[in-house]
Amino acid sequence: MDEASGDETTRRLLRQQYRELIADVQQNREMMLSTRNDKLTESLEEANKLFVAVSRAREAALDAQFLVLASTLGKEKASQLQSDMTVFDPSAFAEDLLSFMGLNRLDGGESDSDNEQLASGYLPSNAWHTLGEEAKKYFRRAPTFHFMLGAFTADPPVQRPRIERQQKKAGPDERRAMPKQLEKMEESHQEATEKEVERILGYLQSFFRQDPGVPISFLEFVTDPDSFARTIENMFHVSFLIRDGLATIKLDDDRLPIIEPLYPEEGENNQDTQARKQAVMSMSFQEWQNIVQTFEISQPMIMPATPAKK
Amino acid sequence: MSQKKRNKRPGPSQVEPMEVDEEYSLSQTPSSSQLQRNVQRRPQSQMEAKVNELVRFLLVKDQKKIPIKRADILKHVIKDYKDVCPELLKRANQTLQQAFGMELVEIDPKSHSYILVSKLPQLERESSKEDEDSPKMGLLTVILSLIFMKGNVIKESAVWEVLRRLRVDPGEKHKVFGDVKKLVTEEFVRQKYLEYNRLPHTEPPESEFRWGPRATKETSKKQILQFVAKIQSKDPTFWTSQYNEAETEANAAGRH
Amino acid sequence: MAAQMTDAHRHFLQALMSLGVVESPQALALHRQCCELHKVHYAADKLDDFISVANLQLQPLFLEIRRGMAEETGRTCYALVNLAESEVTRMASDYSETELELFKKTMDLIVLSENGFASSTEILNLADQLKPKKMKKREAEQVLQRLVEDKWLSEKEGEFTLHPRCILELEQYILSHYPDTARKCHICHALVVQSQVCADCGIAMHAPCLARYFRGKAEPRCPRCKQFWPPGTSAVSQPPAPSSSSTLREGRRASSSSSSVGPRRRR
Repeated sequence: MDEASGDETTRRLLRQQYRELIADVQQNREMMLSTRNDKLTESLEEANKLFVAVSRAREAALDAQFLVLASTLGKEKASQLQSDMTVFDPSAFAEDLLSFMGLNRLDGGESDSDNEQLASGYLPSNAWHTLGEEAKKYFRRAPTFHFMLGAFTADPPVQRPRIERQQKKAGPDERRAMPKQLEKMEESHQEATEKEVERILGYLQSFFRQDPGVPISFLEFVTDPDSFARTIENMFHVSFLIRDGLATIKLDDDRLPIIEPLYPEEGENNQDTQARKQAVMSMSFQEWQNIVQTFEISQPMIMPATPAKK
Repeated sequence: MSQKKRNKRPGPSQVEPMEVDEEYSLSQTPSSSQLQRNVQRRPQSQMEAKVNELVRFLLVKDQKKIPIKRADILKHVIKDYKDVCPELLKRANQTLQQAFGMELVEIDPKSHSYILVSKLPQLERESSKEDEDSPKMGLLTVILSLIFMKGNVIKESAVWEVLRRLRVDPGEKHKVFGDVKKLVTEEFVRQKYLEYNRLPHTEPPESEFRWGPRATKETSKKQILQFVAKIQSKDPTFWTSQYNEAETEANAAGRH
Repeated sequence: MAAQMTDAHRHFLQALMSLGVVESPQALALHRQCCELHKVHYAADKLDDFISVANLQLQPLFLEIRRGMAEETGRTCYALVNLAESEVTRMASDYSETELELFKKTMDLIVLSENGFASSTEILNLADQLKPKKMKKREAEQVLQRLVEDKWLSEKEGEFTLHPRCILELEQYILSHYPDTARKCHICHALVVQSQVCADCGIAMHAPCLARYFRGKAEPRCPRCKQFWPPGTSAVSQPPAPSSSSTLREGRRASSSSSSVGPRRRR
C-alpha cells in the first residue's frame, strides 16, 4: 500500500545516489589517486551512509560495484605510497598550472575542499599565452615564415583611376562624380534618364510605404521576367538612386541584397559613407534566367516605361 | 653502423640514438661515389638554383608544421634532378643552418618525411600576445608532460580530466583553441607531436596518447621534466624515476 | 670588419619570422639581445649594417629584411619579405583561395579609394561575389579579423587599410598592379597609400613626411607648387571617421548632393 510505494521511491533515489557516486569516482580517477587529498576516503564514507538504507539485492549489488571500484583505486594508491620514488600527481600539476596561468581565485574563504574538482575562480584571457611563452623555451621549434607576395595569383593590372579627390580649383562640376560609362550618355539621354530614375524611385518608395516592415529584394525589384534588356536598364537606373543617396542596398540574413529608399533628411549623417558609392552591378543573360526561375518572378515590379505613365 | 660520426651540434643535444642513421641519410648515400659523379655532371649554377628553390619550398611547407614528405619534395622541386636528390637535400640543410640557424631532420625513415627544427634557443620576450602559436604550444606541453610523467603513455580520459580542470573541455568550443578535441587528436597528431591510438576491445572506446616523433626532435624528456619542475616549483630530482629516465636519454643522445 | 654571418644574425632573423614585423625600438632591442646572447660585437648604431649581412645570405633565396616607414606613425619598421612569386609560393597555406580573393578585393578598395581606407561594409558586401566560392558575411568578417591579426591589414573604427608589413612586401606589386592609381610620396619616393594630396598641383605625400617637411618652415606650403597648404589637411593622419570635417571632404559632399539627376525629394 502506501508504505510500499514510498519504499519504492526511496529505493529509486538510493540507486540514483549510488550511480552518481560511482560515476563521480570513475570520472575523477586521477584525483582519487592523488596523495594530496582524501577524496577516496570521503567517497567511501558517503557509501557507508548510503548503505544504512540498503535492504534489497538491487541496491546491495550497486554497493558491491562501488566497493570493487574503490578497492582497486585504494590498492593503486597504496602502491604509490609504498614505492620509494615520489609519484607524479596530475591534480597537483593542474593546480600549479592554474596558478602559473594567473588563476584569479575568487572566494578564498570558502575553501570547501569538496569543490576541488573545479577550483573556483577565472583565468585571465592571456592565460594560455602566458603558459605558451614559458613552454616554448623548452622547444627547438623553428619559427615559420609567412608572406603575402606570391601567395595569390596576380590579376591583370587594374587600369582604373582612383576616385579622385575634389580639387579645389575644379569648382562644383557635377559631372566629375559621374562614372565613366555614364558620361557618354549624359548629353543626349540625361533628360530621359532623369525621368526614368524618378519613376523608379516612385515605385520603390510606394512599395516601401505599403509595407515598411517587409524588405524589398533587390533582385526581384529590378528583374523584369519578360525582358533581359529592361532588367539591365532597371539596374542602371537604380545605380543612380544609390549614388545619389536616395536608396541603399544591404544584405539580408540570407546574404541576398535588399533595397530600401533613403530620405535625404535622415540620410544626411551617413551621406559620407553612403551617397558617393557608385554601385557597379552586372548580370549575365544566364544569371537573369536563373533569377527569374529561382525567385519565380512572373511579373515585373517596375512596369515597363511606356504603358505606365503614372 | 649506427655509430657513424655525427655532425657537431651546438646547444643541448637531445635526440634519440636512432637519429644517427637519419643524419647519415641526409649527408650521404651508400653509393656516394656514384652520387658525386652525378653531381659533377650538373652545372653548378643549376644545382644552386635547385637548392635555393628547395629551401623556399621547405620554408613554405613548414608553415603548418606538418612533416614534409620526400615524395612531395621530389614532385614539386627536385623533378628531373632525382639522381642528385641526396646532395640537394644536404645542401639545402646547409643553407638552412647558415642563413636561419635551422636544420632539416628526417622524422620518419619509412615514409621519408622531414621537419625543420631550430638550432637556437628561444629568445625571452616581453610581450606575450605576439605569437599566436603560443597558446597551442602551452596546451601541447601540458599533454606531453602528462604523458612523460605518467610513464610515456596515458589514457585519453586522464588527459581530459586534467585539461577540464584547466577549463578546457573536449565537448565545448574553447575561446582560444576553438574545437580543442580536434586540435589535440587531429592537428597535434598530424604534426607528429602526438601519437593517438584506439585501445582494442574497449567499450566505450578508449584511446591513449604517446609522444610523436616531432616531440622527440623539438624537445626531450629532460626539457619536459624541467618544465614540470618549474611549474611545480620543485627540483627535477624530486621525481626519481622520471629524472633517471630523462638523464639516461640525454646521455645516450649526447654520446658521439 | 669581416662581416660574417653569426648566430646573432640568425637569431634576429628567426625573431623577425615569428614577429612578422617590428618597429624600430623593438628592432634595436632585438639587435642588442641577439648580439649579447651570442657574444657578438654589438654596435648600437649599426643595425642596418647588421641587417645587410643577413640580407647577403637571403638574396639568393629571394628573401630580404626590408626597412620602411609606417604610414601613420612615421616610425621605421622592419620585416622579412618575400621578393618573388613562383609555383612554390602559391603553395602557401595560411589562406584559402577565396580568402586571398577577399584580400585582393580589399586591397583594390583601399588603393582605389581617395584616402587609403575601405569600410568594413564595403568589403563585406563583396563577400557573396567571391570566387571560387562565395563567403558568408560572418566568414568574411573572421577572415578580415585574421588578416588584421596576421598584420596584413590594420583596422580603425571599422575602416581598413594596409598594414605597414603588407606595404613593405607588396610595394612593388602595388605600384605595378595599379599603374594609374598607386602614387609615390613626393618627399620620400616610396609608395603612399594613405596620402595627403595637394589640392592645387595634386602631388601626394605621407602625412609624417609632410609634417617633417613643414617643420622649420615659416608657413605650410606645398613642396612643389608652393601654394599655401590649407590648415587641417596636414594633420598627422586623417582617419576617415564619418563625422570628420576636413575641407576636402566637405567640398565633396556638397558636390555630390548637388549633382542631380531628377527630382530628389519626395516630401
